[in-house]
Amino acid sequence: MRYLFKKKEFGILAVIILMSVVLTMLNNVFIRPDNLIDVAKGNVVLCIMALGMLPVLISGGIDLSVSSTIAMCAVVGGKLLVNNGSNLFMMIAVCMLSGAGIGLFNGIVIAKMKIPPIVATLGTMSIVLGAVLFYTNGDWITNLPKWFGEFGMIKVLGLPVQVLFLIAAGAITWFLLKFTLIGRGVYAIGGNAVSAQRVGYNIEKIQICIYVYSGAMAGLASVMHTSIVQQVDPNTFTGMELNVIVAVVIGGASTMGGVGTVLGTYLGVALMAILKNGLVLAKVPTFWQKIVMGSIIVFAVSFDVINRKREQAKLERVDVEE
Amino acid sequence: METKTMLNARKILAAVLVIALTIALTACTGGGKSADSSSGEKSSGTAQTEALSTADDTKKTYKIAVMPKLVGIPYFTQTGEGAKRAGEDLGVEVIYTGPTKADAAEQVKMIEDLINQGVDAICIAPNDPNAVIPALKKAREKGILVLDWDTPVDINEVDASVHQIDDKALGEHIFDKLVEEMGTDSGDYAIITGGLSAANLNAWIDYGTEYAKEKYPNLNLVTDKIPSDEQQQEAYSKALDLVKTYPDLKGIIGYSTPAPLGIAQAIREKGLQDEIVVVGTAVKEDCREFLEDGALDVGCLWNTEDLGYLTVSVAKALLDGETLTNGMEMEGFGTIEVKEDGKTIIMGPPEDYMK
Amino acid sequence: MLKKMKAKHANELILLVILVFVIILMGMLSPTRFFTWGNLATIAFQMPEFGLLAIGMMAVIITGGINLSITQVATLSGIASAFLLSGDFAAQNPVLGIIVSIAVGLIVSVFTGLFNGFFVAYVGVAAMLVTLGSMTLFEGIGLNMTKGGSIAGFPSAFSFIGNESILGIPVPMLIYLMMIVISYFMLERSNWGVKVYLTGCNEVATRFSGINTKRTLLKVYVFSSVLASIAGLVLISRYNSAKVDYGSSYMMQSVAAVVLGGTSINGGYGTVAGTVIAVAIIQVVSTGLNLFGLNRYLIDIIIGVVLIGVLAIRFFNKKWETAQLLKISQSDTKQSQCR
Repeated sequence: MRYLFKKKEFGILAVIILMSVVLTMLNNVFIRPDNLIDVAKGNVVLCIMALGMLPVLISGGIDLSVSSTIAMCAVVGGKLLVNNGSNLFMMIAVCMLSGAGIGLFNGIVIAKMKIPPIVATLGTMSIVLGAVLFYTNGDWITNLPKWFGEFGMIKVLGLPVQVLFLIAAGAITWFLLKFTLIGRGVYAIGGNAVSAQRVGYNIEKIQICIYVYSGAMAGLASVMHTSIVQQVDPNTFTGMELNVIVAVVIGGASTMGGVGTVLGTYLGVALMAILKNGLVLAKVPTFWQKIVMGSIIVFAVSFDVINRKREQAKLERVDVEE
Repeated sequence: METKTMLNARKILAAVLVIALTIALTACTGGGKSADSSSGEKSSGTAQTEALSTADDTKKTYKIAVMPKLVGIPYFTQTGEGAKRAGEDLGVEVIYTGPTKADAAEQVKMIEDLINQGVDAICIAPNDPNAVIPALKKAREKGILVLDWDTPVDINEVDASVHQIDDKALGEHIFDKLVEEMGTDSGDYAIITGGLSAANLNAWIDYGTEYAKEKYPNLNLVTDKIPSDEQQQEAYSKALDLVKTYPDLKGIIGYSTPAPLGIAQAIREKGLQDEIVVVGTAVKEDCREFLEDGALDVGCLWNTEDLGYLTVSVAKALLDGETLTNGMEMEGFGTIEVKEDGKTIIMGPPEDYMK
Repeated sequence: MLKKMKAKHANELILLVILVFVIILMGMLSPTRFFTWGNLATIAFQMPEFGLLAIGMMAVIITGGINLSITQVATLSGIASAFLLSGDFAAQNPVLGIIVSIAVGLIVSVFTGLFNGFFVAYVGVAAMLVTLGSMTLFEGIGLNMTKGGSIAGFPSAFSFIGNESILGIPVPMLIYLMMIVISYFMLERSNWGVKVYLTGCNEVATRFSGINTKRTLLKVYVFSSVLASIAGLVLISRYNSAKVDYGSSYMMQSVAAVVLGGTSINGGYGTVAGTVIAVAIIQVVSTGLNLFGLNRYLIDIIIGVVLIGVLAIRFFNKKWETAQLLKISQSDTKQSQCR
């Protein structure tokens, strides 16, 4: 039982439960199933992208280009639907492959040319977004085929189809991270890249895979996004990358690398989502919402660091005293 | 160390090649796509120097720059079409360019660049009327004609102001439509606007709410106007939040063309077409789908292409040295209404789009 | 001596050459319009706000962190100043009002710097995360103050800062040049500066050497914020109003400029000169291509490519360089951790 309490995810869960209780007291619309499902649906895109970002952060890297990647995949998917009227399978495949392509570029630049991830993905972000805007001139893509609109509205057991995709994505990510060699390699690199190399992991290959995965997830997210809003607006994704990073970090991953879990990511996204939704339902004026969110981010990450330092101190004391 | 200088030379050469190559590549592909500005640039560049040296004005083609709040949304794409068509009809060169998001600072920079490009007129729809004033001042000092369209700037800073409709008329009209569709003049309503500092939207909102206070005193605005920054998704999620937070809501007004569409999407998803009235400024083609099932009740706008066309037309007329008079005939357009100050132009009354 | 300078500043010299080349290239593309006073003036007016933010960002990056909140600090202090400027006090006593509002802006920025610095240095949270949170926080405060709109109505004397010139040199440029010199002396020629670089290089070792790294870091964030507030001052004067999202695109661009200028993203190395030249390169490319009429989006692409390209070149050259060194002396391969 003690073990469960110590886990970082438990801390976040506790915060979530506390917030939910407070919010329900402020406006009991919050706890209504349809509200919760709306919140879930509204954050599917963010969460899928966060699942893609998770391995990147665990490995100690970062991927700033996800916002541009999802924009590109959305445009590609949109054009595909409008011009070729293909089917769902094709669309998902094409979008994920395009995203993976960008990820591949990122991965090669980072792994082979040793350019720091923050810089490489910054450059990619510029390039991809510029290309997307140039190609579309910022124009929206509307008039998606009717069947796609219906797809977006499908519900299974009361859950929107997008949420199901989210659960699947999370399951796959969890499986990859926990049970495959590459997955364990991600943690190894994040922990200590040199040691990982000595142990025998092929760092370059793993790094490329990580960024490809991030890009592919962005592609999947783009399909979900388009299915929800039924149009493509290339400009709407700017700035998203920072929200994704915040969600993953609050969920327990560290920018230094080596830590992070799928469950944590879910909880991190949930925390941010509930916070946002709650602030609105509690009729907090729009302008205060950002202040609250910013403060919570700062305190959440501080709290985490302080906790960790205290644990470290405890360990050190034990060693010295022994 | 010889190797060091060789090394540096290599570095320089490589960097230089990279830059040159990328510029060359993109310039070649870019030249084809942005045909309006880039190819026009080169030819008019020489035309400009010719005109200056021979001082022969009669053969000179005017370069009129038209800058929307942002590019990429259907509203401003359509106005762009109109403006470019005017360019062809009237024989002037039209540069239609703007930032990719509703950013006032970007607009200022683009104005400064246009000044350097040596345009004859700058027509701007500002995201923030205050931000552009210093830049417009500089333009006027250089003898460049300045006018605003779609959204006004301080009238003293421009040579003419093209309004698509009378702001007061539209503000009041929207509220009339809201009450009409609601079937009652008492109830809760909310407003979702575009950018918070857009002067045109704020004018309509202010006129409308003033009007409502007098004529429909039982109409209750539940919360301050909510921004959506010209993004349909924002409007969609904000509308969802609204209907959940205020279950007694009877109507939502959407200002700025993406907003009513986003709101309608939210209404449709929640199945509230019959309970909540949605009224707003939206482009005709986009309205159709939402009008069908009643998610959107009334869309209200004006002819977007005409607005672009008129702006160019007015600019050309002023460059030709004409003065604006009420009821005058604009080349290729029709008659316009000009206010007493001789500068403000009203294009016409608003159009309603309903089922 | 010259050789020594060349070796030590090889990076900056290369950047300088690239700058010259870029200027020539842009000039070739639009000969009649690039080399006009008007265009040079435009560049001189647009560059300072970008450059100041870049230097502010550089200081933080040298310590191994990043300051994502820098643009929000600029606008927040601008908004604070604007509040006073648009009030009655300033209307009646313009000169005094301007001075007071500038002071207020600076004070606000110092507070933001202390806030950031406290969490990074004393609590120990990663810089990226703190500044991500503070970015949102400052934006929220700014939004609260402006209610989302813009604050305008400054005394006309104020526009002098952003729009006029002294002896033909635009005032923003003079401010920029002054801050470049000050930053150079503070970062590269002072005791504190040495501590900053050392902290960025290896925080633990520096701490054990007896240097108070926490205090040093705190000062770095204050320094960064002060530079941001000066940039904010230029911004609100140029745009004659203050709004929350002015200059938001500068954040990523300043990181790009800093990295292009040779600063290592992991900290420990970087020069003011490098950053300034890199800022100039980006500015010249941007303005020049705009003048040429190239689509704005393509300009974004080009800058992204240049960023990755130059870094890739540096990488390949470093490989070549270390290979050479290995060939020359098998046993003595010094690899500084900070390069």
